[in-house]
Amino acid sequence: MSTTRWLILLLGFLGCWSAARAQDVVVVANKGVQISGIRDADLRAIFTGEKTRFSDGSHAVPVTLKGGQAHEVFLKNHVREDPEEFRAQWRKAVFTGQGAMPRTFDSEAALLQYIAVTPGALGYVSQISPQGQDNVKCLPVVK
Amino acid sequence: MLRRLPLFLLVCLCTGRLQAESLEGIEIHGFVTQGFLFSSHNNYLTMQSSVGGLQWTDGAVSVSDSLTDKLRVGIQLHMYQLGQLGGPNLQLDWASGDYRVNDHLGFRAGKVKTVMGLFNDSQDVDAVFLWTLLPQGAYPVDNEGFFLAHVGGDVYGYLPLGGRGGKLWYDGYLGQSNLPLNGGFLKQIADAGLAFTSSPGGKTYGGDLRWEAPLKGLILGSSADVQAMDGSAPGGGLYLIPFILTVQYAQFTKRKFYFGGEYDRAPATAILTMGPATIPMSLDVRSWFAMGSYRLSKKVQAGSYYSHYVNKGLDTALPASYSKDWVLSGRYDFNAYFYGKIEGHFLHGNGLGFYESTNPNGLKPNSNMLAAKIGFSF
Repeated sequence: MSTTRWLILLLGFLGCWSAARAQDVVVVANKGVQISGIRDADLRAIFTGEKTRFSDGSHAVPVTLKGGQAHEVFLKNHVREDPEEFRAQWRKAVFTGQGAMPRTFDSEAALLQYIAVTPGALGYVSQISPQGQDNVKCLPVVK
Repeated sequence: MLRRLPLFLLVCLCTGRLQAESLEGIEIHGFVTQGFLFSSHNNYLTMQSSVGGLQWTDGAVSVSDSLTDKLRVGIQLHMYQLGQLGGPNLQLDWASGDYRVNDHLGFRAGKVKTVMGLFNDSQDVDAVFLWTLLPQGAYPVDNEGFFLAHVGGDVYGYLPLGGRGGKLWYDGYLGQSNLPLNGGFLKQIADAGLAFTSSPGGKTYGGDLRWEAPLKGLILGSSADVQAMDGSAPGGGLYLIPFILTVQYAQFTKRKFYFGGEYDRAPATAILTMGPATIPMSLDVRSWFAMGSYRLSKKVQAGSYYSHYVNKGLDTALPASYSKDWVLSGRYDFNAYFYGKIEGHFLHGNGLGFYESTNPNGLKPNSNMLAAKIGFSF
């Protein structure tokens, strides 16, 4: 394995570990996503519908949890909105024909399963086991 | 036959792909609301509101699908009944194809909601607002269908202005818009004796620029819309000399606070012909509003606004030329899908929302009103 790959793996591990330590969520993406980290501003832009692409130009498919603590922490820390604002903003986009609401999931397991099989999928979970990382990619968030 | 086989296989492959896409990625959303109005003195919005009116139902369903990474198509059907306006028939709210070249440039074509001011394109989406009634000077609920959408095309996107410059969002459009046959304008004309059987309409073009300032939560914007209109009815017609509607607006969001304001101006001349008579009508409509709200908890939101409307083309001392509305609002979200709203209005003047047919004994200059709504959205 090349040095670059080791470094990317290390960054991914550090990203997951630091997120878990700081009461944050772990941002995860489909394994086919080529970027090794994501800027906080890009994360916000993708989840508000402002951007539809990652920094490398590939298509991003944001997915969310229906509710719960991880959902609230993610919105507060990375989208800077509360769940009510987030929902209202997407409703407006949907009912004015200006956007499609991110797919939502009842559980983190279902969300991870969807991300694992959907090219470009991007989401978050409260924590992820080493086994879980076999199917998805952890993306460190750069402030 | 053999020569047609590749074509047949191609059609089968394409059909199979489209079906798979539509079954997997199709999105269906909808909302339904039921309103209630109770007013002192005058009857409002063609309802018998002075005794309490429930003839205020609204609903829509939208279906959309992303055919590719860049192309999304969708349709929304809408039904509303507001007193004698609207009706039980489903109407096409919007139906469009949206091709997003990249994050800075996109195109929409079809029947497209018109982006103008703070709320024009979303004014009929009750679920996203605290307010039961939006400021009526800018967004009159009995005439919301006129500027709401156009049949044509839009070009839209945003330009990043650097780390300290914020972002500039733009939307430009060109198309045709029509007065709804079951809306307030044509009801007033019908009450005067001229009933249209086909919808008057005309070309429209315009645009919206909004600057997302580096100060988080602050948006400043400006819109302009050029509108023409022509229509004939048995025994007469309506002609509107092309005019420009201009809108300036600002909003600021900070944590649980929201502040917004808007100024609209529409100088226009309409010419109504009824038999041998030609009646010119000069309008110089100016309206503005200022609003503020606060989220008290996850479920409760409260706010207030003042809406001011005056038609400078008429004698502004007459109550029929102006409308000044002080409003207090509250909203309670039972869960992510169900909500309820309640709102008090203190109205001075009767320039908006009052109809002769439901006020045969004339209008009092001032009235108070209670508006409430329950809604479900998914």
